[in-house]
Amino acid sequence: MTTATTTKPLIGMLTFPHIHALSCAEVLAQDQNATFAGVADSFGGRGYSVAHLCRVRSFPTERELLESGLDGVIVTSETIHHRKFVQAAAEAGVKAILCESPLATTLEDGRAMVDACEKRGVRLAMAFPCRYSPALLRLREQVRSGAVGEVLAIRGTNHGVVPGGWFIDPSLSGGGAVLDRTVHVADLNRWILGKEATEVYAEIGNGFNHKDWEDTGFLTIRYGAGVFATLDTSWSRPKNYPTWGDVTLQVVGTGGVLDLDMYSQGLAHYSVRDSRISWPHWGSNVYAGLISDFLNVVAGGTSPNLATGEDGLRALDVAMAAYRSAGLQSPVSVNRV
Amino acid sequence: MSYRVALIGAGTMGGVHATQWSTIREADVVGVLDPRGEASRALGPHYSDWESLLSQAKPDIVDICVPTPFHREYVERAAAAGMAIFVEKPLARTMADCDAIVELVTRTGVPFMAGHVLRYFPEYLSTKRLVDDGAVGTPAAVRTSRMAGFPHQGIDDWYADPVKSGGVVLDMIIHDFDWLLWTFGPVSRVFACGLYGNAKYVGELDYALVTLRFASGALGHVTGSWAHPGGFRTTLEVAGDGGLIEHDSARTAPLTASLRSNEGGAGGVAVPESPMAMGEDPYFLEIQAFVKALDAGEQPPVTVHDARNAARVALAALESIETGKVVSLS
Repeated sequence: MTTATTTKPLIGMLTFPHIHALSCAEVLAQDQNATFAGVADSFGGRGYSVAHLCRVRSFPTERELLESGLDGVIVTSETIHHRKFVQAAAEAGVKAILCESPLATTLEDGRAMVDACEKRGVRLAMAFPCRYSPALLRLREQVRSGAVGEVLAIRGTNHGVVPGGWFIDPSLSGGGAVLDRTVHVADLNRWILGKEATEVYAEIGNGFNHKDWEDTGFLTIRYGAGVFATLDTSWSRPKNYPTWGDVTLQVVGTGGVLDLDMYSQGLAHYSVRDSRISWPHWGSNVYAGLISDFLNVVAGGTSPNLATGEDGLRALDVAMAAYRSAGLQSPVSVNRV
Repeated sequence: MSYRVALIGAGTMGGVHATQWSTIREADVVGVLDPRGEASRALGPHYSDWESLLSQAKPDIVDICVPTPFHREYVERAAAAGMAIFVEKPLARTMADCDAIVELVTRTGVPFMAGHVLRYFPEYLSTKRLVDDGAVGTPAAVRTSRMAGFPHQGIDDWYADPVKSGGVVLDMIIHDFDWLLWTFGPVSRVFACGLYGNAKYVGELDYALVTLRFASGALGHVTGSWAHPGGFRTTLEVAGDGGLIEHDSARTAPLTASLRSNEGGAGGVAVPESPMAMGEDPYFLEIQAFVKALDAGEQPPVTVHDARNAARVALAALESIETGKVVSLS
């Protein structure tokens, strides 16, 4: 990572339908290397409450925020609006954009976003915060150093409690558990292996919520002839589960096995007051690393761990292939757009 | 009534079964058939050919613990002699052999039970009971895993030959397949990836990830590993629209020994144990269930059809690994 020295960049955020958006905003508000210039959310009072919480200015519309001379923008809107906001930000002349995942609801939108940013020399970054888990970084370092020999297989899970709100409205989210969850582990696998996904098989279901969006996804992903992986993207944790879900990877190689449970750094808390058991997490805040790398890119530096728009597209390829496969009940090749 | 038991095979499973037979009051091991005299004699009277075993030991139960490809042959011999048959899993190496055994057992009506012992492991039995009671609502997503180092303890290292053993999929996670079929009903589609058939890793490594679609609509995922040098571990997870059951053998061992006397010797590693009270050992329980059924004149609980169906899923997984395609089961 190289660091460019300039004055503190001005960063804006839009919009706030997202639980992750608040994590980002809080980290940004505390970061000494940036000036949190303001937020915008033309929907109801969502922008005002975040502005109040983070003590920053709330712009009445996204356009006014984008025209206020920002250096960088973080897009945390509903996925369906990513394209509109990323293109508007690129046209407004910001230096870099950090887009929440998944990149878009369609490969066509994703490609258009990447192209729009490239055309204007704007750096498009993806919010894949798992890349900033110290345990994941250590795993990647061990794989890269050959500690488990040649990697043969990766078994992944990214379970969760079923979310609410727009996440389960496919007209805003683009899909259910498969789209929401596939992109994160698909990105991690690719980043660990340095290989592209070539084929996907997926079985999907709705057996937890019985709605018209999928809450269950069992994917098999091949990385060429040599490596296979499976990924469970299911929203299969009950609502009284002690935490939000998990990210686990079992990396099997010729020299041994690495087992990662990314969020195991937690306490067990048995609350009489709340009649609840929870696992408060004390591990590192992955958003801190993500925001720090993004600010470095805004300032003209390079951050090799920061995922790009292209990385976001590659992850989206896998999720879209999963939907095609589930429809055909057959493995399908990954289309690269 | 007293049973005269002939043990076919004095290997690992033969030894386990002999121990259990010795605790069953109404049964005696009257003969052990195995080319290895010393290993046989440790378990009972040694025989090196079937005819002598039959004429001299006069068994009425045959307990088949030989390598998988020989199961059919001994089932045929035992059925022809009208004996009750207990056969270790998997039922056979091929569907042709499985179907021949099903046909024979059905036609002759000999008492028959397959050694799908997982049904008698308390964590799996408890989970099955909870699921049957509706503890997770309607099951939607089920995951099991069975992870161990590579087995080299078989006679002539037969586990290492995938043509004989079928690797981790047919030899080990068939346990999971039987339990899954028993608990969640029939499987309609199988897709799998694994190292089976990959010449580079024969005899050294095996690992498979199997995805199942049940006829009920539920999804299943089974991990089978002979690539884990760290010792044996199983995990189990059943998620439904009304709850979740989780189990991890690494987190439930009630006793762990970390002994200074092991330092340098056995690697100084902590050795976990999960013992059960006398009479609750799963291998005892399955043999006991077999004997009780014989006493009652009933067919024993794990039927030849159950064993055939579990083998069908495992062989479909191997087919999927080899072809890269989905295998539909009707």
